[in-house]
Amino acid sequence: MSRQRAVRAPTTASLPNNLRIPSTSPSLAKTFGKLSRKAAIDLAVQWLENDSLPSVCPLLVRDQSETAPDQDTSPYPLAHTVEEVREVYEELRDRRGGKREVIDRILEGDWRHGITLLQLAMIDVRYIEDHPAGQKWTALRLVSDGETGRESHATASLPRLHVSTFLQNLQREVSPLVKAHYFASRLKSLPLTVVRIFVTDSPYQYPRHSADTFTDISRIIYLAFPDSCPFIYTSISSSTATKLTHALTTDTRTLRRIVRDAIPRALSRPHERFTLQATSLTVKSLRTLLSLRGPGRTNHSNGAFSIFAEGVVEGSPLDPRLSTTVSPEEYRINGDAETADPEEKEDQGLKADAESPKRHNIHSERSSFDPRESKRRRLMVCSRFGISGTPVSSASLDRLDVRLLDPPIESEDGTGSTNDQHTLSLTFSGSDVIFGLRKMTELGIVNADFMPSWMTGEEGVSFTTVRQKKRTENTSSSS
Amino acid sequence: MDMTTDPNASLELLDSEISAIQAEIKNLRNRHRLLSSSLLSSSYVRDCIQSHPSIETDGDVSPLVVSAGKHRESNYHRIAFSATTFPFKDPSPHADAPHLLGVRIDVCSWDGKFEKPYYVLLHRENTEDRRLRVHRHTIPAFISIERLEQKYLPSPLPELDGEHEASKPWKNRKQDLPALVRHLRRELAAWHLRRAAIEWLRQRLGFFDEGEEDQESLTSRAVTHVARQTGIVSLVPVTLEARYARLEWGDGRVGRFKISNSGLVERAVVIGDHGRDMHTEAAMVSGDRRIETILERLSQNDLSASRDLTSAPGTKSEPIPPRESGSKDLT
Repeated sequence: MSRQRAVRAPTTASLPNNLRIPSTSPSLAKTFGKLSRKAAIDLAVQWLENDSLPSVCPLLVRDQSETAPDQDTSPYPLAHTVEEVREVYEELRDRRGGKREVIDRILEGDWRHGITLLQLAMIDVRYIEDHPAGQKWTALRLVSDGETGRESHATASLPRLHVSTFLQNLQREVSPLVKAHYFASRLKSLPLTVVRIFVTDSPYQYPRHSADTFTDISRIIYLAFPDSCPFIYTSISSSTATKLTHALTTDTRTLRRIVRDAIPRALSRPHERFTLQATSLTVKSLRTLLSLRGPGRTNHSNGAFSIFAEGVVEGSPLDPRLSTTVSPEEYRINGDAETADPEEKEDQGLKADAESPKRHNIHSERSSFDPRESKRRRLMVCSRFGISGTPVSSASLDRLDVRLLDPPIESEDGTGSTNDQHTLSLTFSGSDVIFGLRKMTELGIVNADFMPSWMTGEEGVSFTTVRQKKRTENTSSSS
Repeated sequence: MDMTTDPNASLELLDSEISAIQAEIKNLRNRHRLLSSSLLSSSYVRDCIQSHPSIETDGDVSPLVVSAGKHRESNYHRIAFSATTFPFKDPSPHADAPHLLGVRIDVCSWDGKFEKPYYVLLHRENTEDRRLRVHRHTIPAFISIERLEQKYLPSPLPELDGEHEASKPWKNRKQDLPALVRHLRRELAAWHLRRAAIEWLRQRLGFFDEGEEDQESLTSRAVTHVARQTGIVSLVPVTLEARYARLEWGDGRVGRFKISNSGLVERAVVIGDHGRDMHTEAAMVSGDRRIETILERLSQNDLSASRDLTSAPGTKSEPIPPRESGSKDLT
């Protein structure tokens, strides 16, 4: 094990994949505990695949003779070949049972010699894959530096991500200050490449940290690279840049900031430099990010304009039906969505079915006293919100922060010069803020006629400053 | 037991029956709507209605016929010109310029279906020269509409200092919306053509997406012949943009080529176990360089290569060495 090494010298190399954390540490059990039974078995089988690396191999009988012979303490006998171990997990997969037995088997049985950093990284990425809304993500835009005057190709603005080159560059940038472990993986369910970076300030390749350090969430940085668009998503909140005064300390916040600053430099090439720009969007769901800052058509048409993005405003030119007589859902089903995967669509379709009776109930309750007003309001809501805030839209903000710089009551205009003093901060939070606002408008709590457009999700941001009823573009993120 | 389950079962049966009937009604309604609007927009029926004696005397036609006629006309325009404009009103009560100009771009894909239209909505600035700006759009992010806007719809920089004004040519440049739309449409059409070309090559090689497996055996046999000749086992577009395509051969070589907007193979790289395979690279960018004929060039190249290199060391059956998954190459 790493702790027995006699000579330790500071290096600039990254942390090795095969750095083992003792299986007995309670933090590991916690890390495994967040996986489902199926995910744990899948990962174990993945580690046991033929082309796997030595750093994920299980402990076998032949390894046991080299290390300490403490075979008696473990209830799980060691296997002779990897094939045998795989059979055990395949059998566990077929059987019903709790996830505890799988995790115990992994930690106390086949990987009792320790879980490596690579395995830890795979666990975390698998967790992200299973819970695409379990982590807060901030979208950043990659902007080409200093090419505004130059005429260039319309599609030349995208850095082509080659993950191993990117990681090499990143390592070169941060290695004097940060020791890190890198892991990159392509998600199966979403068109994203996720990079997980674990940072530490030790100069040694085998640092003597406690096991808790290796599972410390504040030391882990996630980057997600969507395909074909100039955005990256990161788990680092953009506010870390404010604490510049303590640049010499080596707490996790500084380490994260160093890595964050190195990202655009690692993506740049000679004569093609990039900088990162905030886009005022921090959400928990990767699907929302892909929809609002992704490669598809929904980036710049939300709220009232979402009817264009989803192609529900009219059909193909070969369709003889009038667009007013065709329901939006029908256009969605017929239209060939190039980015949305069919599975997702199906899910949303089901959700829509489940949602609709509830909504009808509410309508029938409210409309009992004035049906005409209710109908007018419903039409107005459709015109203001388009399809945002309905289950068919894949964007869902879990939080919306608004700073209003206008005076709350406009009639008291006597103190016009001190307008800037009026600041009102509003925070909406919930599982889907725009859905909630839409509902409130449908019920007549919010007046759709006078509602400002930031309430309809039109801007596609989670943080905004509003002056004179309009979003002030302090960041030049929207065109 | 029977007493409690029976009513439940019959209720379930009734429920499923009702939902089946409702679905049937919905289908029939849709069909009715489709047929009636098809009839209303067909020339023959329209002529009959127009020449009906009651209409010739009164002069008022049913609004249904009028709107169907309008719809028909706009469809004709969309099919014929592919870029059309329409007015749109921003419903926001605080919009500076609520009257928007919509540009709709229809792209027809290679199987004769139209893709979802792409939209650009423009507004006029509230300055005296009323310049156009892009307000909202549905253009995919890899086609940078910001750059196109900068190029074709330039607006004067806000800080005006007298001496530099004359020396900067873009300050006096006119806005050119038709050029913007032309360029944009070309990029969109080229993207769809690139995707279509790769898909066509995949079909010729016998690679079908899931769900398309039930192809006729005759075509698949002919297709595998091409695949066998070239030895290609995989051909996929790289990312959504489909600017690059990735090739994989049965002998472990991997390659990548770049497709230009006009459908030429611009550049190609092939790497095998023994480094770059210049021979194949040259074959890919030789001849007329069209992407459609790349398989022919590759199969000819393979024939000539196998004639030349019969004595070359036989490394063809070696599998690709497993990669370190910590730094996975995800191309």
